[in-house]
Amino acid sequence: MHNIWLVARHEYRRMVVRRGFLIATAAVPIGIAALLGITFLVVTMTQNNAPIGYVDQADVLDLGLQETLPDPDDRVEIRSYPDQSAAQAALEGEEIQAYFVFPPSYPSTLAIDLYFAEDAPRNELWREFDDWVRANLAAELPPEKRTRLLEGSTIVVEDIDSGRVFREDQAVGFIVPLAVSFLFFFATMASAGYMLRVVTDEKENRTMEIMVTSITPNQLIFGKAAGLLSAALTQLAIYIAAAAVALTIGAARLAFLQQLSVPWSYVALMVVFFLPAYVLISGMMIAIGGMVTEFQQGQQAAGLLNLLFVVPLFVLPLILENPGHWAVSLLTYFPTTSLLTVGLRWNLGGLELWQVAISWLIVAGSAVLMLWAAARVFRVGMLRYGKQLSLSGALSAVRGS
Amino acid sequence: MKSVDVQNVSKRFGDVQAVADVSFAVEPGEIFGLLGPNGAGKTTTIRMMLDIFKADSGVVRIFGGKLNLAKKRRIGYLPEERGLYKDQKLESTLIYLASLKGLSEQKARQRLGAWLERLDLAEHRHKKVQELSRGMQQKAQIIATLLHEPDLIVIDEPFSGLDPVNTRLVKTIFEEQRVAGRSIIMSTHQMYQVEALCNRIVLINDGRTVLYGQVDQIKRNFAGNAVSIRGHGNFEDVPGVLETRRHNGAWQLALAVGTDPQSVLRHLAERESVKIERFELAEPTLDDIFISVVQDGAKVKETDHA
Repeated sequence: MHNIWLVARHEYRRMVVRRGFLIATAAVPIGIAALLGITFLVVTMTQNNAPIGYVDQADVLDLGLQETLPDPDDRVEIRSYPDQSAAQAALEGEEIQAYFVFPPSYPSTLAIDLYFAEDAPRNELWREFDDWVRANLAAELPPEKRTRLLEGSTIVVEDIDSGRVFREDQAVGFIVPLAVSFLFFFATMASAGYMLRVVTDEKENRTMEIMVTSITPNQLIFGKAAGLLSAALTQLAIYIAAAAVALTIGAARLAFLQQLSVPWSYVALMVVFFLPAYVLISGMMIAIGGMVTEFQQGQQAAGLLNLLFVVPLFVLPLILENPGHWAVSLLTYFPTTSLLTVGLRWNLGGLELWQVAISWLIVAGSAVLMLWAAARVFRVGMLRYGKQLSLSGALSAVRGS
Repeated sequence: MKSVDVQNVSKRFGDVQAVADVSFAVEPGEIFGLLGPNGAGKTTTIRMMLDIFKADSGVVRIFGGKLNLAKKRRIGYLPEERGLYKDQKLESTLIYLASLKGLSEQKARQRLGAWLERLDLAEHRHKKVQELSRGMQQKAQIIATLLHEPDLIVIDEPFSGLDPVNTRLVKTIFEEQRVAGRSIIMSTHQMYQVEALCNRIVLINDGRTVLYGQVDQIKRNFAGNAVSIRGHGNFEDVPGVLETRRHNGAWQLALAVGTDPQSVLRHLAERESVKIERFELAEPTLDDIFISVVQDGAKVKETDHA
C-alpha cells in the first residue's frame, strides 16, 4: 500500500505541474470569469434602466401600490405625469425611457398607448410595469385572490414513473446538470489522455525494469491510476468550485442566473459514476500504452476507443426525445456509454434508482476486469522496447500464456 | 548463504529457446561476470533471476529463497535497457527511485549529496535528466542502483558511455562495494574489465552455459589455446587459428579447441616469407577465450546443421 501511495504521489506531482494540465485547469475558471464579466459588461452597457412614465387619463392607477410588490427597490422606477405633454417633455429630456398613456376608455377597452424614443423598454422592465398595473386592477379584490392573480401561473410536469418534477420557472436549471454531465465526461476523456501519456512515457523512458524490480507491476499501475485520478478530481473540484462561485457572484447581478444553482446531489451521482468510468478507460489506456512503442501510436488507438464513450452524443436527439427507447436503455447499461447516458437521462426522468444501480455495477465490474487485464498486458508489453505487442500477443498476455 | 543460486533455468519464447539449463551461484563479497555474445541469453537470465520473467523450469533462489518485495529492496539493478524520467529533475528522480526501495526521503537526500559530489553531478542536481549528457545519465543510473545500499548489485554494461576517468572511478566504487561484502553480478562485453574486476564468471552461448568458474582457473585451462609469436612475415590464415592480432609488437594467435600449438609452429616454419624470432604458449586473455569458445560453438552448430 505504501508503494502505491509513493507512486500515486509521484504521478500526482508530475501531472499537476505539466503545462497542459495547468492550462486545462486554469482555462475553465478563467473562461467562466471571462464569460461572466463579458455578460455583465454587455448587460450593464446595453440595458436601459431609466424610469418609465405614465399618464393616467382614466384615473385608475395608484403609484403607491408599487411599494406593495415584492422587492420594490429592485424594480423599475415609475413616474406619474399629469398630461401627455409633460410626459413627452420628460421623454425628450431623457428623464424617462418611455411612457404609457392610459386613455379614459381604458377600464372598458384595456387598451393603452406606449411612447418611446428609440427602443421599447426591455421585457423585464415591461413585466415589472405590468406587475404594478395588475396590482392596481386587483386592488379591490380579496387578498388571497389578489395574491393568486399577481403570482400568475406556473406549469409543473411530474413524471409518474420516477416521480421527478419539472417546473416551468426552473427550466433554465436543466442546463446546469447537462453542463455537469459534459464536464465529467470530458474530464474522463482528458484523464484517459493523461494516463496514456504517463504509460507511454514509462516505456519510452525505459524505466520499467527498474520499477518492477522495486515494486510489483500492479502497485505501479494502481499507483499511477490513483495519482492521475487525484489530479483529475483536483481539476474537477476546481471547475465545480469556479462554477459555484460564478453562480453565487453572477446571481447577485444577473437575473437569469438566479434560477441556476449547483445541483450537489447530481454532482455526487456523477462522481460515483466517474470513478469506475475513469478506471475503465484508464485500464484501456494502460493496455494500449503497454502495446505501442510511442505516444503517437497510442493516440490513434485511443481515438478509436474514445468513440465507444461518445456514442451517446451521436444519439443525443433520441435520448432527449425518447429516453425510454430500447437503444437508450442499452447505452445506459453498456460500460463505456453509461456515464454520459445516465448523466443525460437523470435530468429527463424515467430513470429509476435500480437502473442506475445496475448500470453502476456493470461499469464498476468492467473497470475491475479491465484493470486486471491491463496489468497483464502492461507487464508483457512494457519490456518489448521498440517493438509493438500485437493484439494476439496482448490476448495471450491476458490469458497468462 | 549464497546471494544468488540459479539452478538449471530454462526459458522459451515461442520457437526460440532463449535459455537452456543455465546454472550458477554468486557468493557475498564477489564480483561475478555474466558473459556471452549478443543474444546469448544473458538478459533473459537476469530477468528470470529478478522475477521479471518466469522461468519455464529450474530454480532461482535469492538470499536463500524466493524473491519477494522485501528482498527486492536489497537489490540494485542497472538494466541493459535503462533510462530515467527525462522530464524530471535529477535529484527528485533519484530520491523517488530510492523511496521505492524503502529509503525515507530524508535518508535518501542525505546519502544522495555525497554520491552526487563523488560522481561530479552535484551542480546538476536541479537539472532535468534530459539536459544531462549520456555519461552523466549513466552516472546517475549508477547512483540509482547503489543509493539504497543493496546487498546484491546487478549491472548490465555498467561502463557504457563513460570516459576513462569515470570508468576508473566506477570500477573503484564497485570494488568498494565488493569489499563491503556485497555481491555484484556484472554483464559486459568488455573482457578486460571482467579480467580486472571479476573473481568468477559464467559464459553463456546460445542460451547454454559453456564456461563457469574462477577466472584464473579458466585462463589456465585455456593456456594451450593461444600462442605469442615475435617475428616478421605473414601470420594470418593459419589452419586451426581462430583469430590473429598484433599486440605490443607480437602476434597473438587464438587457437581453436584441439589445435596443437606445435602444428601451428610447423605450418609457420614451412612458410618461406616468415621469420620467427620467438614462439611461446601464451596465457590467453578472456577475450581470446570468449572468441575461442563462441566461434567453436558456432562451428559445432554449423556441423550439426550440415
